[in-house]
Amino acid sequence: MIQCQWCQAQNQPGTTSCQTCGAPLDERNKVSDSGWREAPRLRDMVEFRFSGSTCQVEGELVPVAEVALHPQDGVYFEHHVLLWKDESVPLSSLNTGGGMKRTVGGMPHIVTVANGPGRIAFSRDAPGELVVLPLHPGMELDVREHAFLVASHSIQYSFVRIKGLVNLLHGGNGMYMDRFVTTGYPGMLLLHGNGNVLERTLQPGEKILVEPGGFLYKDSTVQMQAAQMPLKTGFMRQSMYLAEMTGPGRVGIQSMYVHHHAD
Amino acid sequence: MNTYICRYCRQPSDPSSPTCPLCGAPVDIRSSVSDSGWVEQPPIKDMARLQFGQSHVQIAGTMVPVVEFNLAANDWIYFSHHVLLWTEPQTRLANMAMRGAWNRKMAGLPLVMVEARGPGHIALSDNHAGEVVALPLQHNQQIWVREHRFLTATGNINYTWHPTGIWYTTGSGDDQETHYPMGQYGDTFAATGGPGLLLLHAPGNAFIRDLQPNQSLLIQPSALLYRDVTVRMSLHLEYPRNLGFAYWNSRWSYRSIWARIYGPGRVAVQSIYSPPEDTEMITSHSYATTHHW
Repeated sequence: MIQCQWCQAQNQPGTTSCQTCGAPLDERNKVSDSGWREAPRLRDMVEFRFSGSTCQVEGELVPVAEVALHPQDGVYFEHHVLLWKDESVPLSSLNTGGGMKRTVGGMPHIVTVANGPGRIAFSRDAPGELVVLPLHPGMELDVREHAFLVASHSIQYSFVRIKGLVNLLHGGNGMYMDRFVTTGYPGMLLLHGNGNVLERTLQPGEKILVEPGGFLYKDSTVQMQAAQMPLKTGFMRQSMYLAEMTGPGRVGIQSMYVHHHAD
Repeated sequence: MNTYICRYCRQPSDPSSPTCPLCGAPVDIRSSVSDSGWVEQPPIKDMARLQFGQSHVQIAGTMVPVVEFNLAANDWIYFSHHVLLWTEPQTRLANMAMRGAWNRKMAGLPLVMVEARGPGHIALSDNHAGEVVALPLQHNQQIWVREHRFLTATGNINYTWHPTGIWYTTGSGDDQETHYPMGQYGDTFAATGGPGLLLLHAPGNAFIRDLQPNQSLLIQPSALLYRDVTVRMSLHLEYPRNLGFAYWNSRWSYRSIWARIYGPGRVAVQSIYSPPEDTEMITSHSYATTHHW
């Protein structure tokens, strides 16, 4: 058997891409000297499976995720990432809760649910990469707002408030993060990262300072705190803040972002 | 060790390495040259390493590449704070003094540069799909770079900025507006403290061409990426022949605003640019050549 280096799933010998996440199995990991690993570049038209459904990735500049839903399966997503669907695929809405809090945070109140059978496709509107994150039971992942593309219905969706006034005012990551949790069953989460996506696993207590606009996802075990730098920026000489990430756990970043203190 | 001159950075390089250790260009490929003579700058290979001083740089990614520095204890770089992606806590960051804050603010240039000193890792990236272009500079070599294309430079490279001298005005009275199709200021980098490394970010693809003395070329002003300081430039205004439209239409609505660049020297362009607005009549301009068809 061949173990996928991205999602750790086992694959039959002779397969060239992981059946669980689509990562190429016949290419070396690309890891920088400091330990950042590039998210696997999914080949055009690669397919992978989750539950009884399949997902095919089309295109490489602004990739499209095309999902063939099994009759018992469903996926949910923010409605503006829907590219096309079979007419027969029913849509329903799922209230996220949070009401005014989400309005104030600039996040959608409702995520849309599509159930099988049928085909449905998703994409975001920027050059970048699809990041496929199969979630095993018991995993919790925090995702930057508006970075999530689609998730399978076995994953619970909630959101967490970014705590602390300093984090809120200077953190550059908005008021809320999406949180995805798996309980009894595994699930599939797809994100869209702008530009290139890199991931690093932090050891317990290990710290890294990240531009908040570049933050994409993290394990919920990773602590995120706005940290003031010894720098002044802009005409008003305001302080510069970065997001201090403290392990243990994974941190994912995207290389194209709008600087949170662009002046 | 045998050496060869890298066809992209023009520096003596190591032919046994898969990529030029100074600029990251692949050694083992034929150059792609268009019929007109533009040489395509090959993208730096994913995870390629460049050397400077006791430090090195690694390029990660191909769509919006990340430039990751492993800074040695005595090496330092500077950059605009907008491009900082991540840093290790032990890398020392400090503000770099900049003159002309008001002029830079008015011109939309970053007011603050940040110095990063080793030892430690730090990574930078721009926010456009494109390429990182590495320009190793020999001692006392200078290069001119269009505003906002600078990503970072090693500490031994001196940075100054000067007016481009390319402008035109539209409107009159209170409605008069001055336009700078190539930006109000251009950046000049000089390796005054010994050989250094300059990194730019080019949105889209980058192409290089060598101009002979007095050879001239018309390019979109905002497509210019960098040029040798021996290359001169001026404004060129081109008006199409009137094909039955009203006279005033051909005077401004369909004009083309170009940068005319003159050799000798090397010039590089990027394939993503913003054409100048072309709806109002030009009332005055910097030195320009004009052509009415």
